[in-house]
Order: sequence, then C-alpha cells, then structure tokens
Amino acid sequence: MLVLRRKAGQSVLIGEEIEIELLEVNSQGAKIGIRAPRSTVVLRKELKTAGEHNRVAAELPPLEDLARSFQNLRS
Amino acid sequence: MGILRTKYFGEMEQAEESGFHFPLGLPAFEGEKRFVPIELPGSEPLLFLQSAATPELCFLTFPILVVDPDYELALATEDRAAIGLEESGQPRIGEDVLALALLSVRDGFPVTANLMAPVVVNLKSGEGVQAVRHDARYSFEQPVHGAVQPC
Repeated sequence: MLVLRRKAGQSVLIGEEIEIELLEVNSQGAKIGIRAPRSTVVLRKELKTAGEHNRVAAELPPLEDLARSFQNLRS
Repeated sequence: MGILRTKYFGEMEQAEESGFHFPLGLPAFEGEKRFVPIELPGSEPLLFLQSAATPELCFLTFPILVVDPDYELALATEDRAAIGLEESGQPRIGEDVLALALLSVRDGFPVTANLMAPVVVNLKSGEGVQAVRHDARYSFEQPVHGAVQPC
C-alpha cells in the first residue's frame, strides 16, 4: 500500500479523473472530499461488507423451514 | 387501501405508503425504499420486514435488545440526519427509534444476527436507515443463542 502524509487542504490525484482532498482532521477522524466521474462507484468499505451480509440475510428459506429454525420461540 | 404482495403471507391489505421508509434503501438493495413490518402471531418478537416493491424480498429481524440487552447504538451523524434525528446525542432504543437486527438463516448454520449494521427507524417519522457502525465493537454475524434453535 502506498502511504502518503497529507495536511488539511492538500490533495492526492489518482489517474486523470479522481481527486481525494483531505478537508479536516480532528480527534473524531479525517474528513475527505472525493472528486470522481459519476461512473466511479465510491463507497464506504463497511457499506460493501454490510451489502454482502444483506444479500445472505435476504436468502430466507420457506416458512416451514423457518418455523423449524425458530421452534423454541414459537412454543 | 393497497395490496402488499409478500414472500410468505400472500397478499395483504395495507394502507397506501404504510411501513418504514428508507430514503437510502439498504446496502446492496439501494432501490428498496419501503419495507412493511409484519408480525406472525405467536412468533413475537420476530419481525418480518417485507419489501413493498419486491414480493420475494423479505428480511427476518429481532429487536436488537432481544439479541443483546446491553446493545448501544452508535449512529454516524449522516445516518441520524438521513432519518431526521436532529439531536446530537444517540437516540434511545424504544423511545426515539426502533432498532432491529437482520437475521441470517442458513441450512446447517446457527442463526446469526447482524449487530454491526442495525436497521434503525425513527419512531416519529417512520424513516429508516441501516446504520453501519464505524467501530468494530459488534459482529456482522452474532450467533443468536438461547431462544433460537438452528435446524
């Protein structure tokens, strides 16, 4: 991984079209601004992870199988 | 009245635009803006979250305090803003918001609850967001012990 030190107001360019600017740093974290073409997907990484877990959670079995999974609760 | 087509319960009558509104959708389901909570009598506190737009899309949830009675929310500012929570502090579960953990039910695995990305609904407005935590205090796949038996 390339590691760079930046101060607030300074930027990094990735390729021709993507700019990442460090806007503000404080004890809560660093605020960054991203300029990129609309076609570039920009996502907090944890949202991608959450999406993968959501896809699994959306694959629920038929109700009879669910009832077996939760039979203690229903009794 | 409108008709809600559901994954498990056939067609149900519902008031137009009822249920929870998710302005941002859910991660991986960004286009799904409305989910209707459905309780199956005798199966409380299990709560189904049925997509209003997609009949075959339904999530199963537990109130998050059922999974972890000591659970503490940590909503990011942008998540609070997304559901119209103006106060700077964390909302109170049960008073300001409903907090639900999505469950994963897979054959041969224990049922798990997603405590890293609770679904949080503003009780006043009915607006919801899946608030992915910025810390690593909880698990995306917390096995649900006790009340629930895997197959």
